[in-house]
Amino acid sequence: MVAKRVNVLWAILGVVGGMALGAWYMGSRIQSPAEMAARTAPPEASPILVPVESRVLSSDVVTRGTVRFGLPQPISIAPSTVKGGVGLISSLPRPNTNFGEGEVILSASGRPVFVLQGVAPAFRDMAPGTSGGDVRQLEEALARLGFDPGTVDGNYDQKTSAAVERMYKKAGWDPYAPTREQRAAVVALEREWSDAARAQLAAEATRETAMKAVAAARAIAEQNTRQAALDSAARVGDSRQLADARSGKSLALETERARAAHSATAASADVATQMADRALIVLDPRQTETARAAAEAKLKVARAAQRKAKMEADLAIQTASRETALVDERIRVAEGAVKAARLEGERSVRAALEQQELAEFDVKVASERAQRLNAELTAARAKLGVQVPADEVVFIPSLPIRVNEVTAAVAANASGPVMSVTDNQLSIDSQLPLEAAPLVKPGMKVAIDEQALGIKATGIVETVANTPGTRGVDGYHFYLGVRVETTPVLLAGFSVRLTIPIETSKGAVTAVPTSAVSLAADGTSRVLVDRGGKQEYVTVQPGLSTGGYVEVNAPDDGRLVPGQLVVVGYKIAEPAAAPATVK
Amino acid sequence: MKKTMCASLFAVLLAPAIAAAQAQAPKGLGTEEFGMSPRELVQAIEKTEELIARCMREQGFQYIAADHNTVRAGMSADKQLPGLSEEEFVSRYGFGVSTFYTGLPPQLATGYSPARVGLGERNVQIFRKLSPADQVAYNRALLGDDVFSTLAVALETEDLSRTGGCTRKALTETFKPDQLKASHYNPQDALINKDPRMKAAIAYWQREMKKAGFEYGHPDEIEPDLRNRLSALTEGGKLLVSKMSQDQKAALRKLQDFERLISVKSHKMHEEVLTPVEEKIQEELFSRKVQ
Repeated sequence: MVAKRVNVLWAILGVVGGMALGAWYMGSRIQSPAEMAARTAPPEASPILVPVESRVLSSDVVTRGTVRFGLPQPISIAPSTVKGGVGLISSLPRPNTNFGEGEVILSASGRPVFVLQGVAPAFRDMAPGTSGGDVRQLEEALARLGFDPGTVDGNYDQKTSAAVERMYKKAGWDPYAPTREQRAAVVALEREWSDAARAQLAAEATRETAMKAVAAARAIAEQNTRQAALDSAARVGDSRQLADARSGKSLALETERARAAHSATAASADVATQMADRALIVLDPRQTETARAAAEAKLKVARAAQRKAKMEADLAIQTASRETALVDERIRVAEGAVKAARLEGERSVRAALEQQELAEFDVKVASERAQRLNAELTAARAKLGVQVPADEVVFIPSLPIRVNEVTAAVAANASGPVMSVTDNQLSIDSQLPLEAAPLVKPGMKVAIDEQALGIKATGIVETVANTPGTRGVDGYHFYLGVRVETTPVLLAGFSVRLTIPIETSKGAVTAVPTSAVSLAADGTSRVLVDRGGKQEYVTVQPGLSTGGYVEVNAPDDGRLVPGQLVVVGYKIAEPAAAPATVK
Repeated sequence: MKKTMCASLFAVLLAPAIAAAQAQAPKGLGTEEFGMSPRELVQAIEKTEELIARCMREQGFQYIAADHNTVRAGMSADKQLPGLSEEEFVSRYGFGVSTFYTGLPPQLATGYSPARVGLGERNVQIFRKLSPADQVAYNRALLGDDVFSTLAVALETEDLSRTGGCTRKALTETFKPDQLKASHYNPQDALINKDPRMKAAIAYWQREMKKAGFEYGHPDEIEPDLRNRLSALTEGGKLLVSKMSQDQKAALRKLQDFERLISVKSHKMHEEVLTPVEEKIQEELFSRKVQ
């Protein structure tokens, strides 16, 4: 019984299973005509509606750029000559530290290094007495910092020195006072100057003596000359005799000649007389031999007297001539004595004058040396004020600055490049496509943002290159430089998006999506407005189009207002069996 | 007795459904990635690339929308090197996950990089002309955190969850939300995996892998695991090999050795055990062999 029931149950289950199988198969295969039609019929389209908006339309140029500070420039410390050696760096700033004018950027061997604004680098020690462009830079910086360096004239004077001292003290540092060597140099100069002054006095005394010697020499020469002239005058008579003698008219000589002529004449007459006497005697036979001999002897005596007279006359003439000649000699001697006296006087005067010139030259040299040493001493004394060693100041063209990279290390020599700095102005290097470059002009506002970081800032177009391919961009782009104006965070190093509005609707305008505007057969533009299920075309005047929206102005007021819905397309429902994997 | 009868009754009632499920693939299920048809895949690629280009333009970057051939080339470049068969590639480089890691973005890679191929040469050149900061921002805008998950790689690995940036944004407009999740599974693969024959094959694969010392439930679990391990080791793929410590380099070498070992074993098992079953089921589903 039970087995039978079980068999029946199995049979029923089999029938039910078979019916289910058959029903499922038939159900999956059989389709009604309505189903077929519904499946093949096109889906009903429904309009896609978007609201009319009131919004500001702006056409933008969007590009990217990397933010940076100004171009890094190295900072070098110049060696100081007054210090006589390079110091060791004792403190250094950290990268990204900012420094303003008058701040100490680092210290070396316990001395500060100030940063001041200036175009030319510090290249020498500045001390009282120095002047030049670097001193002017220093004075200008001191004036900016409010330390009153006096007249900004490029001369390091006592006021400049006082201002430097105030700057050091305000920063908490001792000003750089004169060194021991500088003081010793001043003392040595003082000693030299004293010696020179003494030498000058001695030279002046010598000159006075020389001048007196000249006067004395002149007096002596004059006296001697005068004496010689007197002697010469005394010889004037002799001179006349000499003149007569030279002309053969010497009186003594003439006298002697006359006397000789007279004697000769007398002797000749006597001889003639004796000859006549002798002839009378000889011819007179009555004369004795003795008489003849006596006459002969008398003749001989007469002749001898004649010869004697002649000889005496010749002798007298010779003596007279010799005397005349002696007078000439005496005159020449006198004249020579006058000349000699004159020459001697002149020589003495000349020697005295030379001595005077020499003395004056010595005075001049001594005086110049004394003056030079006096000037040097004055300068050296002036330099004993507060000074600025070359390694205690760096001039930077633009301040404030930001430390970019520190290349030196603590305890290293404070000389040469120690770090690089940039200015504090953020700039952006960017580029523009060829077609966008003509639209962007310097001075345009720039919206800066980085969506991933939530950064927003503003900037201004600073540079647009005239030619593509410059400043590191490729030949299909123009370089674009943007200056960051306001930024909530430090953007340096970030890549940011730059949005430059190049055209704007200047206020909110009525705008619709571009796809909502269609062209009518008559060429007018229109939008299809949905009014509670009914759709109506409204003719519009399109304006600025950007960002997927277009400004529309409906000639009839009120026919197109913000909030109304316009058709931008039609949505077709997906067939039920269509692939739905991709949207 | 009653239980047996009830079970029999349910079996009879569900038999048609089971038979239907095994008979053919659901309508609309394609043979390509994410169950798309070849046409749908091409359309999805083209649309996504266009959206990526637009998004990048809005970010201020220049990006040339890659055509589908370029993206497909990137997809095909996975585990492929010229002159090497897939087996040779796997034996040398494993799955190419950690073995080719340099820390450089794909655009700067000089060797094997499916991501670079999929981006297209013009975009690679555009990237290389950017400043270092812009390069970082470019990849962040394009790819988000994981710079290796380009569109081509994401499609090839069928994992859109690792994408980011404009790629992610474009994919959200192109793919369905569930397809963007890491949990999404290719319906075709899911269908195949449901097959008892495949289940049996995978069970065998699991046992064999376990014998070799690798505990994974499915071959598809290996690559994501390797990527996660590599990401943890390399700070999200941003650590350059040249800047790694000795310990990090040793860990990377260990991971590379592991990748080679497991990939060789898995590849062998896949070819010998899973592929024949998979092809058989695909033939039944699509009435043809799926390429």
